[in-house]
Amino acid sequence: MSTALYQHFPILAVMVLFLGAFLIVIFGNVKTLRHLIALLSVTVSLGLLIALVKPVMLEGEIIAYWMGARATAGGYAIGIAMEVDALSLFFGLLVATAVFVSCVYSIQYMSHDDNVGQYYTLFLMLAGGVMGLVLSGDLFNMFIMVEILTFAAVALTAFRNTAKGALEAAFKYLVVGCIGSTCILTGTVMLYAQAHTLNFAQLSALLPGNMNTATVVAFALLYIGFSTKAFIVPFHPLAADAHGAAPASISVLISGVLTKSGLYAIIRLSYFLFQTMELGTMQFLLVFMGSMSMFICVTMALAQHDFKRLLAFHSISQIGYVLTAVGLCTAMGVSSGLYHAMNHTLFKGLLFLAAGAVLHQTGTTDLDKLGGLSKKMPWTTAFFLVGAFSISGIPPFNGFASKWMVYQSIYLKAVESGNIGFLFATIIALVTSVLTLASFVKVSQSVFFGRLPKEYENVTEVPWGMRLAMCLFAVLCVVTGLFPDLVTRYLTQPAADAVFNASGYINAMMGSGYAESVMSVPAMAPAVTYVEVGVWQPVSWLLILVITLLAITIVAIGGQYDRVSESVSAPMDSKYDLFFGGEESVYSQVGGEDLFWGFKHNWRGYFSFMHKLHSGIVNDYSLWAVVALALVTLYMLIVF
Amino acid sequence: MILFNYVASFFLIVLGFYTIVTKYNLVKTVIGLSIADYGVNLLIISIGFNPGGTAPIFTPGEIDPSAFFVDPIPQALTLTSIVIGACVTAMSLALVMKIHEQYGTIDTREVRRLRG
Amino acid sequence: MSIVISALQYLGYILIFPGFLFCFLVGLLLSGIDRKLVAKMQKRVGPPVLQPFYDFFKLCGKETIVPAAASKTVFLMAPLVGLAALVVLQLFIPIFQFTAFSGMADIIVILYLLLIPALAQILGGAASGSPYAGVGLSREMVTIISCELPLVLVLLAVAKTVGSATGEGLSFSFASIAAYQAANGSLILRLSMIPAAIAMLMVIPGETGNHPFDAAEAETEICEGMLAEYSGAPLGIFKLSHAIKMLTLTSLFVALFLGGIGSGIAQLVALMGLTGPAANGLTVLLGAIVTVLLCIVLTVVSISFVHAVTARLKIEQIFKFYWTVVSGLALISLVLAWYGL
Repeated sequence: MSTALYQHFPILAVMVLFLGAFLIVIFGNVKTLRHLIALLSVTVSLGLLIALVKPVMLEGEIIAYWMGARATAGGYAIGIAMEVDALSLFFGLLVATAVFVSCVYSIQYMSHDDNVGQYYTLFLMLAGGVMGLVLSGDLFNMFIMVEILTFAAVALTAFRNTAKGALEAAFKYLVVGCIGSTCILTGTVMLYAQAHTLNFAQLSALLPGNMNTATVVAFALLYIGFSTKAFIVPFHPLAADAHGAAPASISVLISGVLTKSGLYAIIRLSYFLFQTMELGTMQFLLVFMGSMSMFICVTMALAQHDFKRLLAFHSISQIGYVLTAVGLCTAMGVSSGLYHAMNHTLFKGLLFLAAGAVLHQTGTTDLDKLGGLSKKMPWTTAFFLVGAFSISGIPPFNGFASKWMVYQSIYLKAVESGNIGFLFATIIALVTSVLTLASFVKVSQSVFFGRLPKEYENVTEVPWGMRLAMCLFAVLCVVTGLFPDLVTRYLTQPAADAVFNASGYINAMMGSGYAESVMSVPAMAPAVTYVEVGVWQPVSWLLILVITLLAITIVAIGGQYDRVSESVSAPMDSKYDLFFGGEESVYSQVGGEDLFWGFKHNWRGYFSFMHKLHSGIVNDYSLWAVVALALVTLYMLIVF
Repeated sequence: MILFNYVASFFLIVLGFYTIVTKYNLVKTVIGLSIADYGVNLLIISIGFNPGGTAPIFTPGEIDPSAFFVDPIPQALTLTSIVIGACVTAMSLALVMKIHEQYGTIDTREVRRLRG
Repeated sequence: MSIVISALQYLGYILIFPGFLFCFLVGLLLSGIDRKLVAKMQKRVGPPVLQPFYDFFKLCGKETIVPAAASKTVFLMAPLVGLAALVVLQLFIPIFQFTAFSGMADIIVILYLLLIPALAQILGGAASGSPYAGVGLSREMVTIISCELPLVLVLLAVAKTVGSATGEGLSFSFASIAAYQAANGSLILRLSMIPAAIAMLMVIPGETGNHPFDAAEAETEICEGMLAEYSGAPLGIFKLSHAIKMLTLTSLFVALFLGGIGSGIAQLVALMGLTGPAANGLTVLLGAIVTVLLCIVLTVVSISFVHAVTARLKIEQIFKFYWTVVSGLALISLVLAWYGL
């Protein structure tokens, strides 16, 4: 088998990031040099992955790459392997894009911090860890990468160790993250004991049909372990703490990249390794956890009064959509889930960058203290609004396109399976979306609109580098929202096809015919059809909207809409003093925590219960992890 | 004999988790993490163990097909895992030190500025 | 040449019927009828039916003042975007069998497009920097949340009913809902859809922000909330949007539940022996007239009557009402539809 040049690209994409990390350790003291190295390595990594789009995404090739040109020996895959199919590449592209934009943003964002050299080292380690995870073809390498990225993420969370709660957040993350890693390692070795291989492809061939108690327990362990990395529901407080404390550029990575690695692993496990997704019970588990994540996190977000904590909860809420959609095990479901995963990276990244911009210029992210920044930071406000509209699913931004597909696929699944549980998932998904909108209205009122506090009167717009990074994400948000056809055809559908092509994945690594010869139950047939039950054409819709808007604007200007005069601030003229009764106008900003009193009042029982539950004690969070592990193990032992 | 290893390793893992969940001292939490880690290490090494097997050392050109080895892969995995465990301990102890500097306490019930 | 003609045709759709001009006339007319009727019911004389038109033109002649604390662009653009979105929304809602732009949006899209006018008002209010607007937008958002759950349940129930009847499983598209009703009679005649229709009737005043669900604009209390700082043409446009929203929601009700009436029109036109474009034109014209009449009836039933006999609810009462009573009704419908009744 001749190896084309591009077959070396996956390993290079990972290595270049680690190489950059080590080079920065050496040359990190020189400012320009470290920026150059960091930017260069992330750009090269992104470029290498983009070069893979043609063979992998469009031509459907699955790259199986052995380190040191080892191959299978004696029917066993021993050695370090990478396997890149469309699913891996899809997640890889998300990672590379988010890392690239975050790196551009970091250059000016981190300019006031100390030890920026270490920051870039950890940054690149984190990026390399996630990249290695999604491109890896080997369970133990995946574990190593999980450890690398957890370490880097913990260290970066505590990077600004004087920030409020940074150390605490890092410690909690470390503890629960390590519980997760321990689970992953235990699961990995239990599988090794059963199948004597760590290679994904071979495990995928050997495990399905040969499930016993040990493999089921291993599945539960791995599932919970990777759930801690995706921060889905019982682990969501960690995400909130970590995001709140980490620098914004790292929050982009934690939400856009780290959670994706967990999701990727869950997809790999349930669709490839164990191939259990056709069981209704397994679909129930994913959809249940997804719906719980959606709803609990969105309500928790409504109760927050810190910008970045709020965003963190929303991040998990959106991950809930992805998990639910992926858990449906329909082609449309997986495709829409992946689409939403991509959009999540884009709009969540954008929102975190906007939050970072506010923090950078004002020094706080407390919603109760901010207000009226739109006059001082118009660009940031515009970018924030794009992100907020996207995440709330306002047409024509990208969040709508993917959510709309998610609703369709859940409801179609509900109708086809006659299972009323999916109906409730549909309702939760639809209602969650409007609650998301509500909390972003809260943010825009509390941070960007409303009254400007006195102490922020000298705030200025962020430097151009940070604006450029936000602009990149904003443009991507709009583009992926306007052209859902192209995105699904060239990105998500190849990835979704790959999800249903377990036998192809096995054969690419182990040699053709291996899957058929080994597996007692054949792999899921790739009978992939994308059923749509609705219609939505963003481009023509937007065209109509623009024409209408133009027409109305022309009419409005004809109707003296432009006779605008701005009132001057404060005492305009002594003749108005009469109406003010001699009192000075006081600063009265309505915003922050209590904005949706009418909603929260009706749910006060629920909110106070949730508030008590999220106690902030690391023991409680560890207990949740252990309980979740026990429950999932029990559930799996019962149903398999 | 080997069954005892398995039981012991799972006992250690559970003990570690128990420590993490019930102890309110941050240092004890770190100890709990280490115990769970040792449990996993014991599990890995037990999986690779073959009763009566020799060390898996090859000399080029002298491979004896009838040689009976212990499985070398778990040993490699264990080494990696031990290294990672050491890192976890070092990192978490460093964090505990900084927390003690900032909060003046290492009681988890008081290290909870982030909640709700 | 044909491209130019079809472009002109679509431009006509957007600007005249069923787009801007139609919305403008019918919306303000509905508003006028509502005001007049409520006055009559309260034994007042009330304004003339054309009063909203006078109000609008007068406001457009006034100077627009942008408060010093406001962010000007958002403050001035919000009313226009909201109005444009409403007009576009109206283009997607079929008038019986006729849709100006078919195959571009389904009922889930409509659900989200309905958020845009409200969102425009919220952002405009927020951009004005006024504390009254802050209170108003908070209440408006809670009202939206309140209405969303029942609306979602109603739409899902309709989608399921139509889908299981046509054998598709479910259908979100307006075209198949209209086709189904043309063939099988209005959905409201089905037992399972009656609670949903009642729920939808209750949603209409909440979505438009009419009495008693107008806590967000409570004039006597928070000076019209989000509109507190608005003046001149932008205020006029917000008032116009409010009027058009009545048309949008009532015609949505007609499209969802009363679509069967439209088949009668087509048969009537066929009886008259007309064919070709003339018949189509006449069908659309008659359809539009029937829709407008139905919208007036619905406005009277769901907005004016309720307005005349109730007092304004507090915001948490609004939320409770919608998430218990109205959602309960819609849920009954959904469950009935689920089991194929």
